[in-house]
Amino acid sequence: MPVFKAPFNGYSVKFSPFYESRLAVATAQNFGILGNGRIHVLELAPGAPGVTESVAFDTADAVYDVCWSESHDSVLIAAIGDGSVKIYDTALPPPSNPIRSFQEHAREVHSVDYNPTRRDSFLTASWDDTVKLWAMDRPASIRTFKEHAYCVYQAVWNPKHGDVFASASGDCTLRIWDVREPGSTMIIPAHDFEILSCDWNKYDDCILATSSVDKTIKVWDVRSYRAPLAVLNGHGYAVRKVKFSPHRRNLMASCSYDMTVCLWDYMVEDALVGRYDHHTEFAVGIDMSVLVEGLMASTGWDELVYIWQQGMDPRAS
Amino acid sequence: MATSQPSGGSPPKPWEQEGNTSGPKPFRPPSNTSTADSVEASGTANPGELVPSVNRTNTAANMNALSRPVPTRPWEQQNYGSTYGGYGSNLGVNSGYGSGTYGSALGGYGSSYGGGMYGGSSMYNRGGYGGGGLYGSSGMYGGGGMYNSSFGGTMGGYGMGMGTGMGMGMGMGPYGGQDPNDPFNEPPSPPGFWISFLRVMQGAVNFFGRVAMLIDQNTQAFHMFMSALLQLFDRGGMLYGELARFVLRMLGIRTKPRKMQQPPQGPNGLPLPHQPHGNQNYIEGPKAAAPGGGGGWDNVWGN
Repeated sequence: MPVFKAPFNGYSVKFSPFYESRLAVATAQNFGILGNGRIHVLELAPGAPGVTESVAFDTADAVYDVCWSESHDSVLIAAIGDGSVKIYDTALPPPSNPIRSFQEHAREVHSVDYNPTRRDSFLTASWDDTVKLWAMDRPASIRTFKEHAYCVYQAVWNPKHGDVFASASGDCTLRIWDVREPGSTMIIPAHDFEILSCDWNKYDDCILATSSVDKTIKVWDVRSYRAPLAVLNGHGYAVRKVKFSPHRRNLMASCSYDMTVCLWDYMVEDALVGRYDHHTEFAVGIDMSVLVEGLMASTGWDELVYIWQQGMDPRAS
Repeated sequence: MATSQPSGGSPPKPWEQEGNTSGPKPFRPPSNTSTADSVEASGTANPGELVPSVNRTNTAANMNALSRPVPTRPWEQQNYGSTYGGYGSNLGVNSGYGSGTYGSALGGYGSSYGGGMYGGSSMYNRGGYGGGGLYGSSGMYGGGGMYNSSFGGTMGGYGMGMGTGMGMGMGMGPYGGQDPNDPFNEPPSPPGFWISFLRVMQGAVNFFGRVAMLIDQNTQAFHMFMSALLQLFDRGGMLYGELARFVLRMLGIRTKPRKMQQPPQGPNGLPLPHQPHGNQNYIEGPKAAAPGGGGGWDNVWGN
């Protein structure tokens, strides 16, 4: 299975929604604490177990997250540690990039998510406690969502409803928002510790999962959010990211500071259905391909990006 | 947008081919316009809003019931100096690293010491306690740094203690900048240096902020690491103790193994309080000794 060695520590990996062989990786020097960042665009070689870098963009600060545009196949958006949001066109050479840069967040931008239904806007979540909504055709953000009392680690669009998104914050709450409402529409005190990540179920848009410093993943139904549908134990340390499968209703993947990537089926009793320990440092980025069922990618502080088929060993070449 | 192919969008998602789930949804039906239009139609748009980096915790919109107090963010030791530009606003430097823990407790420490780095204060950044002159602001005037910074904390860095290289600190008023006509002041150093210096300090703030965030997210890991470290020291200490005893033994000095040491005994055969090895027994002693009519611990030490 293909492995890519980046010069910096990996932070995020995302499959292109247009090309099954393309992915983007966000990396940061010195574990994202101090130094530059780089965005790599990788191409999986057809047939052969290899991966090549097609283009890379350097940034002046760590890149914490990256996401692909759903409307233009070559456009990607990066969340940068200096509070800026930059848009790159991978079809253009590095000197003409980034094509846009927005400096509105006061602190590190930690996640970026492109609206998958309307395909005209994206969200950024930042350590300045806010979530911002942006549109590709606007020169500035459209709206700022300020309610969280601590860093917002991730904001994710609902996969079926173009106006609804969820945000996971260090203030231990998960909030559901409608961009047309003045405030959040739902506040779920989901964990007793910081919530680092959240994601919507792709097949039931009322179900979402949160992952937290308390080492658990919880699955919630927004129609009855008093108690979680499921609590998934198995990670040894804080769970950094959680992601629902685009192909299977009950399947999700997570990565953690315990250096493992886990697969879960939250509907069955023994929810942990797979564990991969291929990373030798914190595993902080994970994605599942929308176009190829079972194709997964992960990255971590060991500077490696693994792309593998579910059920296979990521290290096997 | 300078894109190569403005195509109609990404291929349909696997979940879009499936019908919607049944049951009522807690969401309002989606609007049919673009996201930007639907936000603007709802009157909630606030284009290009800049987020202030200070005191975000106190926003009125904060209506959640948290299960724990939200920790102070590392970067709330605000770098006012660089935020507001002026060089010589040593508050920025002071609050550079942190000293919330030290600075506030020490109060005027910074001013007498001139410790831009350590004297600063504003971890809590509500008013701030002692700040300090940049370098060696000495004596009374140096104290200016202290007073100023207490304004500075709230006012956002207008109070400057301009420390000159000679250790002559000029405390300016809360609104005071550097008066170019003041005969007691030397002309300020070229801004290039200060600005770059402040940038370095800003970098330090960022650095510690990010380190603190990582520790935050790895509470357990950090705890394990620290306890492992402590355990290592503990074991290390024991190792050295054994080694020392072995060496002494080789030299012909006989040390008594600990177990054989006889503690001085108090009345009823109870060990005296505050004996290093008797302590534990002292706590439990009276309870255990009572049913036996006293002296329950007499044979413990094997004499």
